[in-house]
Amino acid sequence: MIPTFGQNATATPKQAHFNPYSFNGGSIMAIAGDDFAVVASDTRLSEGFSIHSRNAPKTYKLTDKTVLASAGFHGDVLTEIKVLEARLKMYEHEHGKKMSSQAIAAMLATILYHKRFFPYYVYNIIGGLDEEGKGCVYSYDPVGSYEREVYRAGGSAGPLLQPLLDNQIGFKNQQGVEKVSLSKDKAIKLIKDIFISAAERDIYTGDSLHLKVVTKEGVSEETFPLRRD
Amino acid sequence: MFLTRSEYDRGVNTFSPEGRLFQVEYAIEAIKLGSTAIGIQTSEGIILAVEKRVTSSLIEPSSIEKIMEVDSHIGCAMSGLIADSRTLIDKARVEAQNHWFTYDEKISVQSIALAVSNLALAFGDDDADPGAMSRPFGVALLFAGIDERGPQLIHMDPSGTFTQCDAKAIGSGSEGAQQALQDTYHKSMDLKQACVESLKILKEVMEEKLNSTNVEMAKITPAKGFQMFSKDELEEIIKEL
Amino acid sequence: MVTGTSVLGVKFDGGIIIAADTLGSYGSLARFRDCPRVMKVNECSVLGAGGDYADYQHLKAMIEQKVLDEDNLNDGFNYTPKSLFNWLTRIMYHKRSNFNPLWNTLVIGGLQDGEPYLGYIDKLGVAYTNDTVATGFGSYLAAPMLRDGLEKNPKMTEADAKQLIDRALRVLFYRDARSWNRYQLAIVTKDGVRIEGPLSSKTDWSVAHVAKGIQ
Repeated sequence: MIPTFGQNATATPKQAHFNPYSFNGGSIMAIAGDDFAVVASDTRLSEGFSIHSRNAPKTYKLTDKTVLASAGFHGDVLTEIKVLEARLKMYEHEHGKKMSSQAIAAMLATILYHKRFFPYYVYNIIGGLDEEGKGCVYSYDPVGSYEREVYRAGGSAGPLLQPLLDNQIGFKNQQGVEKVSLSKDKAIKLIKDIFISAAERDIYTGDSLHLKVVTKEGVSEETFPLRRD
Repeated sequence: MFLTRSEYDRGVNTFSPEGRLFQVEYAIEAIKLGSTAIGIQTSEGIILAVEKRVTSSLIEPSSIEKIMEVDSHIGCAMSGLIADSRTLIDKARVEAQNHWFTYDEKISVQSIALAVSNLALAFGDDDADPGAMSRPFGVALLFAGIDERGPQLIHMDPSGTFTQCDAKAIGSGSEGAQQALQDTYHKSMDLKQACVESLKILKEVMEEKLNSTNVEMAKITPAKGFQMFSKDELEEIIKEL
Repeated sequence: MVTGTSVLGVKFDGGIIIAADTLGSYGSLARFRDCPRVMKVNECSVLGAGGDYADYQHLKAMIEQKVLDEDNLNDGFNYTPKSLFNWLTRIMYHKRSNFNPLWNTLVIGGLQDGEPYLGYIDKLGVAYTNDTVATGFGSYLAAPMLRDGLEKNPKMTEADAKQLIDRALRVLFYRDARSWNRYQLAIVTKDGVRIEGPLSSKTDWSVAHVAKGIQ
């Protein structure tokens, strides 16, 4: 019988709420140099305290000049990448040319904002070469706010790593240092050190580091082991 | 051609047994009644020049507009039923802004021509895109713009066919004007020469005496994009003819 | 809601195995003892499912209809495990996006261009491929066993894989209250698809009396 008084007088049947998102972890990073960009991610795919896969890189080659790193809810990552690849092909057919990194960056912002009220729960960072051949990095929030930068860390250990990049690449909080431009080798070495540190503290980062290096010659890849616990 | 009129010249989507679409051909004919428009591409930019038919002294000449801005880097000159061009220019402008909004870059002239030709081809379709009509458009367009391939001049006719040109004339004086362009055009022509040449040719093919109120001219340059010539600027050039 | 528990999957040299027990639970009640949860899709792909049994039956009907339609075209093409996997990923993601998910965790396996293929999809559209896969309770208990087994024996034979799966299922039977010692295997090799079982693990309760007094 439905209570007509007391605490449960207005009680209605309830259904456990369905949560359409899960957090699958992963850290991502991109650094732009004078004539290169390095895009990196770990390869761990997790959920809660479990590891789904130790070999799931979160970097996606979009063109010979543009690489995207995406972490967050893996279901949305898969969908977003499919949408992007379709849009890339449509642009190529419609306009008879490959999309530039800047065009991809602007388009991704509109794709993300179109889902403003049911967002792709994804953190994106684009790394590549711009139309002048200079390295470029674009970073996003899940609803499409974006800006061009020189370096950015994102994903689960993003907040942990960004200050380190600020210090080592942006020369923040340093006095009397010569601001030399970053070489490709130094960028790669730095990224390896940073991910080793991230894997120490963040349970959603580990297993392997995957690097994609963009130069005018194209995109080359590299992997590097990380701790697996 | 007019002797072969038959039941096939009514339906806009019906081929004649000879494989012709009469209504489209008639629309192309309609262009030849329009005032002359000329486009010349040079390495420095492009010139668009059109004749304005001011048929009465009671007409305000500046209310006749036959060169329009599509985007800051693309212009369009036209001949034929100018009213029909409104929806086409609207489409071109929307397409240019959409491209800028989505990709943060200037749309290419070819992509504009492609988008507009798709609309020009959508005639006769009951549930086609907004803007499409029951008949072919009665206007021909000259798109001129600067994009990553440099200065571009593209001609589009009512059939939706578009072609890239170095120099092109459309409208009633097009036959003579095109011949004149053929004779005078050379790849090393500069923008100033193109201005003078286009007005010279217009002067020859126009019935009225050419002056600064019955012509319109625009240039599209890499530095400043689309710019209409003012009355003063026109007079300056006309003096030299 | 009748549910099935873990599904396990492992690649071996020249094929894959997917395993699931046959218990259909009704909450904590072991309600149905003969609910097959692995299916043959076609001559090169199989599927196993955990979670809501009604949703699985619906999905099974959908897949069977799709495979039949494809067969009827008689064009020599068939769904491959990869195409099936990607299609199911879109179905699961689409349903979750409409807030009407299919409440299942799926394991898809088979031979893709002659190579073993094994993938996981959940009700949210999270999907990945891997050498070993374990869902539900199995992700805690069986996944480490399967990973360890494959790491120590990367060129595993079908018999080795069967033995590994049997060991993992036995541990699950001991510890997962929603499991049951009666399971089926779906095996894909170059010779085609086999559904084996129901089989049972050999259990050992000789230490059970020691557990007296444990809560």
